[in-house]
Amino acid sequence: MSNQFSHEKIIQLRKKRSAADRRFKTYGLIATVIGMAILFFLLFTIFSKGYSSFQKTVIELDVTFDQETLKITPNATYEEQVEAKFFKVKKNAIANALPDLSKKDIKLMKKMFSINVDKEIKEYFLQNPNILNTTQKLLVTAHSDVDQMLKGNAKRDIEEKKRKLNDRQLEFFDEFVFTGRLKSKFNNFFFTNADSRHPELAGIAGSFVGSLFTLITVFLLAFPIGIGASIYLEEFAPKNKFTELIEVNIANLAAVPSIVFGLLGLGILLNVFGFPRSTPLVGGTVLALMTLPTIIIACRASLKAVPPSIKEGALAMGASKMQAVFHHQVPLALPGTLTGTIIGLAQALGETAPLIMIGMIAFIPNIPTGFTEPSAALPVQIYLWVESAERGFQEKTAAAIMMILIFLFLMNAIAVFLRSRFERKW
Amino acid sequence: MNNVKVSTKNVNVHYGTKQALHRVTLDINEKEVTALIGPSGCGKSTFLRCINRMNDLIDICKVDGSITVDNEEIISDEVDVVSLRSKIGMVFQKPNPFPKSIFDNVAYGPTIHGIVETKTDLEEIVHSSLKRAGLLKEVKDRLHEPGTSLSGGQQQRLCIARAIAVNPDIILMDEPCSALDPIATATIEELIDELKNKYTIVIVTHSMQQAARVSQRTGFFHLGELVETGETQKIFTNPENEKTQGYITGRFG
Ligand SMILES: Nc1ncnc2c1ncn2[C@@H]1O[C@H](COP(=O)(O)OP(=O)(O)O)[C@@H](O)[C@H]1O
Ligand SMILES: [Mg+2]
Repeated sequence: MSNQFSHEKIIQLRKKRSAADRRFKTYGLIATVIGMAILFFLLFTIFSKGYSSFQKTVIELDVTFDQETLKITPNATYEEQVEAKFFKVKKNAIANALPDLSKKDIKLMKKMFSINVDKEIKEYFLQNPNILNTTQKLLVTAHSDVDQMLKGNAKRDIEEKKRKLNDRQLEFFDEFVFTGRLKSKFNNFFFTNADSRHPELAGIAGSFVGSLFTLITVFLLAFPIGIGASIYLEEFAPKNKFTELIEVNIANLAAVPSIVFGLLGLGILLNVFGFPRSTPLVGGTVLALMTLPTIIIACRASLKAVPPSIKEGALAMGASKMQAVFHHQVPLALPGTLTGTIIGLAQALGETAPLIMIGMIAFIPNIPTGFTEPSAALPVQIYLWVESAERGFQEKTAAAIMMILIFLFLMNAIAVFLRSRFERKW
Repeated sequence: MNNVKVSTKNVNVHYGTKQALHRVTLDINEKEVTALIGPSGCGKSTFLRCINRMNDLIDICKVDGSITVDNEEIISDEVDVVSLRSKIGMVFQKPNPFPKSIFDNVAYGPTIHGIVETKTDLEEIVHSSLKRAGLLKEVKDRLHEPGTSLSGGQQQRLCIARAIAVNPDIILMDEPCSALDPIATATIEELIDELKNKYTIVIVTHSMQQAARVSQRTGFFHLGELVETGETQKIFTNPENEKTQGYITGRFG
């Protein structure tokens, strides 16, 4: 008796099926590999462009703190020390940075140092006041043009006119390099400073804190409102045409382009309600409107996923509807809601367009300390830097993108943590 | 002869336009087990859920007729369902402990109804309820583990403990053993037998053997009608109605 599965046609079909299986597996593998390759390429480009902005260039300078120039006495009080003439000390130090500089040379030499050098000298002295009347070797911040030249970002074998450093300055540069007085150091300014007109001093602290304040605003507004709306719609609202309309519109709202929310912020929050411009408060409010649908959709889905038997159990125990919802359904829906909220916040973090509309694109050189202070935000900061002509800002762009990615990565890590922490228990 | 605890008269239930119960009239005696049997879809659960107004949760469900509990009408908008339900415990077909600790499961009712003043009182109630549900021995060292970590039979007894923690008069059970193995079923049946000394019990079951074992009175439902009701012994040995006879001898159902 012949086995019915050994029939010629059936064997052919079986071969075909397993070939289709293999083919599909290969396609999947190829797609995954391409995706990973693109991702790695992206990360690699960002990193290779950005990592140099974590380094700054410093120049070793002999600074003489003599009391005649500083115009203070050895037993001066702190207040008198603060008022001492550090700019003169700096001037002397720069004039003698290399031997035998002409007046014109000194002018050129000055442009090789950051304007922050005064402050650096002053801070150094205030920390070590006993160095009065001595000469110290200080590492002071170089100008961005020097920095870029040392990092190899600026070309030197091109016409003098097209270069930031002219021929004479290049001679100084080479002399510094030759005598080992040009050094690379960790760029603390990038992490502690706000934006600046001077690339060597510009940092992301301002926009980072701005983004943080903005996200806190988003969370404080969107999370309670979103949860409240979800609970109401899911558990209490009567099911009629009107609530159906609301539901459809919430789904639609999630698909509205973010710039529309920016317009709303500009037209209503700023012009009608007179919120303070360029502040995390307005930015956060606008982004909260944008995040709200995401949170509501996530929260309602999580509420729906709670088995009705739990609510029935509570109601049968004589719990009021409110108690059944808040004691049993909401806690079970919380992890899913939090995950959705973090996804919403991550979207909000990367939003640029609405923030530009409400003026968070202004140049803000200090770190905001409150919700109603003008402030920058990370994505807008990136936009501002990529727009600026100066070479020194370009590497900052990539570094700021790295910061955003780290921020996002942290937020996603929290989401994953919350998910596993509150695993479904039923 | 015991007092009548729950009395229904001409109860009709509609789901939308579909009528699920037709003029059901039934008396349920105090401190007895009343079993409701019948083929699936005949309206046993619907009837049971009328008694503690759980049908209120279903928007399309309309109940009319008269149901009294302790001679008080409960089919009326003025009735406070929260206090009604605190008097009537319910055990569901699928064990549904809250995803909380064993202790919190049992403590939930007393806590929301404000029955207890102190923590020791609460512990006392939790312990005695678990004990009456025959679960204390098995769980007394793990009261703070989740209720969902128990076996199916234990979960169902936890649900019974949860229901009796508020000291109700009536316990409604909707096929409480249908998700359990025979050993767990036997344990629950023994428990029901004990509980009837204190509570009025209405149990829906699809197992005629179970009805015969645990109940004193039985009602037979068919297509939304209460076909026959009477002492369990009589229903199973000498039913009056032909349909009842057919069902219990296994000719349909
Ligand atoms: N939520 C509901 N919506 C609509 N119809 C329902 C609902 N619950 C039960 N029914 C209908 O009512 C009838 C009785 O159901 P039920 O009381 O669950 O029967 P039983 O518990 O005896 O199996 C069935 O025909 C069922 O389809
Ligand atoms: Mg049923």
